[in-house]
Amino acid sequence: MILFRAILLFLIFITPLKANTIYNLIKIPNLEIYKIDTKNGLRYLYATKPFRLGVNVKKNISCYNSNKQTLGKKYKIIKKNLDRYSLSFLKKINLKYIVLCENLSISEINTAGIPNNITRTLILDIKFNKRHFERAIHHELFHMVNDSYKELFNENTWKNFNKKSFEYSQCSTCNDNWNLDLLDNSSDFFSEYAKSTASEDMAEVFSHLLFYQNKIKNESSIIKKKILFIKKNILKIDDTFKF
Amino acid sequence: MINKIKISKSEKIILSFLIILGVFTFVSLIILKNKCLFIKNHNPNNIEFNNPENVVILNANCGNVIIELYPSISPKAVKRFKKLIKLRAYDNAAFHRVIEGKLIQAGDLEFGKKENLDYGKMGSGKSGLGTIKSELGGKFKYDKGSVGLARTFELNTEDSQFFIILQDEPLYEGEYTPIGRVIYGLEVLETVKFIPKFHIVPRPDFINSIKMLN
Repeated sequence: MILFRAILLFLIFITPLKANTIYNLIKIPNLEIYKIDTKNGLRYLYATKPFRLGVNVKKNISCYNSNKQTLGKKYKIIKKNLDRYSLSFLKKINLKYIVLCENLSISEINTAGIPNNITRTLILDIKFNKRHFERAIHHELFHMVNDSYKELFNENTWKNFNKKSFEYSQCSTCNDNWNLDLLDNSSDFFSEYAKSTASEDMAEVFSHLLFYQNKIKNESSIIKKKILFIKKNILKIDDTFKF
Repeated sequence: MINKIKISKSEKIILSFLIILGVFTFVSLIILKNKCLFIKNHNPNNIEFNNPENVVILNANCGNVIIELYPSISPKAVKRFKKLIKLRAYDNAAFHRVIEGKLIQAGDLEFGKKENLDYGKMGSGKSGLGTIKSELGGKFKYDKGSVGLARTFELNTEDSQFFIILQDEPLYEGEYTPIGRVIYGLEVLETVKFIPKFHIVPRPDFINSIKMLN
């Protein structure tokens, strides 16, 4: 017992200090402040070195630092899109920190973003697919909304909007078709990716609503029901929200 | 008649060496070891305060640290802090977490007191009064010398532990409940024992006492 306590104390004292303030706040290493005095309270951080994250020894999330030029260019685009969300809305969905890095992947699969509403952080891949980059920001933000309000965005209710013959995949990466391109106006989904899971479908509807605003031309009655559902529930969270 | 004996050159060298050694020993043992030597001890009786009812005197090894509390910014947190001060709960509490030039943390009333120090659990102790809600709405700039209530990774877990920052920390704004600011004696805190690159301090320094001015 004495030996055990001695080893425990030794381990406590040799634990190297991660004095970095950002690490203490959001548990992501190698970050620095990019911009923090924003109108809607979002704090933008960027990776100075590559980092890996994960719950256990297998740190399956990785991202790399970017050069200043890319960072400056992409920051402007990201900020322009995220400025559409008010401080009160962001507070309600638990989003405060935006981490900018490139080649973000989870289990070696590239992704546009990784939301975490416990650490109030959204990691964004600034080198993600150029064509869909801006819309993907809103898509990833919706996952923060969804994670904070699971009861509002009930997946079973959502699944009932689809045709009875349709079934989502087991997971968002189970399908080989990750195409984000807009499908034709009669489709019940905005993209092929929307067919992966109910939550990805919701995020696709939300991001199309935010990105294309009133220019959506889809005429499917299913899509119309989905849009109504998203709008209604977002307004339940914040009745001043503007689509 | 006694003949004067002239000191040889080598004897002169040895003598000078011994004098230098003596001076070096004196400086290193007496002057350099006394970390409080050049620290000014502020006497609160000689200072006029605007809000004396919100002034706290923290006495540490090298003197007094005078803190002004801001109940208008964080009423519940200040109320809790004052309550524990009046109970003399912080007396003999360790500065258990000290990060050189950055932060100093104390107030673990369960495992961080001189009489029942538990290194294995230090930093996780509570006051027994329960947790209070984070107060993050007020405008407060986390400049050097700001005092805040510590919490776990989750919000609304503030209790008795508090920290004082030794450098500006803009990221703390809206993250930690502020309770006040050091107005005199920040240099006293800069002498508190720390271990470079480690976060828990073995054989830490202690708060001698914390009292309200009035």
